[in-house]
Amino acid sequence: MTDAANAQSATDQKLKEAYFTASQGQLIWQRFKKNKSALIGAWTLIVLIMSGFFAPMLTPYDATIAGRDKDYLNGAPQIPQFCDDNGCSARPFIYTFERTRSIKTNFRWVTEVKTGLEDRRYVTFFAKGMEYTFFGIPMERHLFGVDKGMIHIFGTDSTGKDIYSRTLTAINTSMAVGTIGVFIAFVMALIIGGIAGYYGGWIDSVLQMITDTVRTIPSIPLFMALAAFIPDVWSAEMRFFFISLVLGFIGWPTLARRIRTHLLTERNQEYVLAAQLCGASPKHIIRRHLLPSFTSYIIVDLVISFPYMVLSETALSFIGLGLKDPVNSLGVMLQNVTSADVLLNYQWYFIPVIFFIVLVLAFVFVGDGLRDAADPYSDSKK
Amino acid sequence: MLQFSKFVAVRASLAILTLVLVSFIVFSLMELVPGDCAERYVAFKSSQGSVITPEDIQVERIRLGLDQPYVQRWASWIVNAFQGDFGDSCILRVNIAQLLGQKFWLSLGICLSSLTLAYAIAIPVGIISATSNSAVLNNSLRLVSYMGLALPNFLLALMIMLFSTVMFGNSLTGLFSKEFRDAAWSYERVMDFLGHAWLPIFILGWSATAFAIQTVRALMSDEIGKLYVTAASARGVSGGRLLMRYPARHALSPIINSLGFDLNRIFNELPVVALILTLTEAGSLLIEALARSNDQQLAGAIIFMLTASIVAINFITDIILALTDPRVRRSIVG
Repeated sequence: MTDAANAQSATDQKLKEAYFTASQGQLIWQRFKKNKSALIGAWTLIVLIMSGFFAPMLTPYDATIAGRDKDYLNGAPQIPQFCDDNGCSARPFIYTFERTRSIKTNFRWVTEVKTGLEDRRYVTFFAKGMEYTFFGIPMERHLFGVDKGMIHIFGTDSTGKDIYSRTLTAINTSMAVGTIGVFIAFVMALIIGGIAGYYGGWIDSVLQMITDTVRTIPSIPLFMALAAFIPDVWSAEMRFFFISLVLGFIGWPTLARRIRTHLLTERNQEYVLAAQLCGASPKHIIRRHLLPSFTSYIIVDLVISFPYMVLSETALSFIGLGLKDPVNSLGVMLQNVTSADVLLNYQWYFIPVIFFIVLVLAFVFVGDGLRDAADPYSDSKK
Repeated sequence: MLQFSKFVAVRASLAILTLVLVSFIVFSLMELVPGDCAERYVAFKSSQGSVITPEDIQVERIRLGLDQPYVQRWASWIVNAFQGDFGDSCILRVNIAQLLGQKFWLSLGICLSSLTLAYAIAIPVGIISATSNSAVLNNSLRLVSYMGLALPNFLLALMIMLFSTVMFGNSLTGLFSKEFRDAAWSYERVMDFLGHAWLPIFILGWSATAFAIQTVRALMSDEIGKLYVTAASARGVSGGRLLMRYPARHALSPIINSLGFDLNRIFNELPVVALILTLTEAGSLLIEALARSNDQQLAGAIIFMLTASIVAINFITDIILALTDPRVRRSIVG
């Protein structure tokens, strides 16, 4: 054997060793990395979550009524441009809009565009704007703004709130609702599925019967009925918490069923028997053998059920039974879009929908990618 | 035969047991809601100008039987519910069965048509995509199934409305034209209805279609690689005959089982889609009862009936499966 071949087999050996000694997490990451669509989904997700997280910094105005532009109601998106009839400028600019009402306009409010050179509003970066606190630090710099007046790159709604600012804040809300919802569903599923799977026998049958019954009831109509009875006096925060709770209750039966099935099959596996015969304590078996065998599945399930939560919240808020105005979410933003007026004249109300489709798709891609990566047999199947 | 009727009897009693459990859950939730029917009705009365005293509420409570113990009320509710009588609505004071009657069947009809449409599309498309190697076809189907989740029915409805308003100046909403709204059923009314109903049926079936294509495709690709298919093709069976006789029969029986849950999914979307498309005849009562009028009697009745139709579908599919799938039939008949 030559030295080159020796070196070759040595690296092979090393690779094999690395493969066999890799931890579960490393293996999953290795497989996940190969999946291009999942990786793109993951990056998109990170960007979206971060932009939701840093929303106060990235958006020029407050998303609540405090940030309204009373001179630009139902205003169209203002796209910054570099050139117009008056020549070009190195800095992007938008025009000044003015609402006027006079005998000429039949006493209706009409928005006028002033395209003169002096009416240009130049876009500035890291502009000083409204004050806000970020993690308790008072700040006033926003990613962009204009030197005079206001800028609305996605337009404004009927009260003059900036749709761009609202969209980014809404991502935050949806993530928060989804996280709380998934967490509640997860805890309930773990308790109920865990008990059913651990004890088996008649307890399992009874719990299965209940879970299946809950699964047959169409959950959204049911929770619509319950949400309708929320007293009007509840604050926005109370509503927020209640809706998250409701979403948690929507999600648990499917998760519980999966946990139970998994526990029941794993409990009787040979490796558990082997550990028992070696004298391992039940605590050791649960911690070192049973839990690692399905944490990855549980994480995948949680990621997959996340978009359902977000969409259920959107549906509930959309019909006016979920979150309400000071709290922003996609459903809240879409509340009044079915009127003919909006459909015909103010189509920019629908811009946030694009963001949410992308958000949900990113979750689905990541979830699918994780599921394939967590499945140790996914390579051999193909 | 005796074995089979025993199987049917067991399934039927299980279904009824499920319904009783459902009624208990629904009834309890409706009880947990703050305020009862008497208070609601009396509050409604006082908003009309009558002067109401606490005694009046008490009298109303006794009249409605709300002073009786909880379990007793539940028992009488469930006994009546199985006979199709849900009592009177809290606020409208009309018999619920009358109020819901036609509207419920209309909604159910629309939902079942969506389900049928979903599978009428999904089964052939799923089978074709499982057998074809075309990357374009498979990737576009993958995209469709992802969109089924990312663009849920109500968002799709919104988008279609936006599109049709901008393009044709007509939002394509409603179930009947103006002149037929309150007319009696006639040939023209049915035609008018069908002319309007195709859109809600398509929209309601959209997510279900996207998911079903994915399921059919996965089940088919699992079956197609199996040895009995290879053996059959070695015997000279080929093409559509091979697919239909061997893998498709195996692959499709799990689908029959999942019909109930697909109907559940469609029911979940029904109220929101009905609101967007202003399907006043079918969905408005649902929304109104559930969301606007705080009418717990009506809401409870609607949810119970929706669940009952899911349980009925589950029962029927169990029986169909037992009849058509020899493996299940063997296990019952022995």
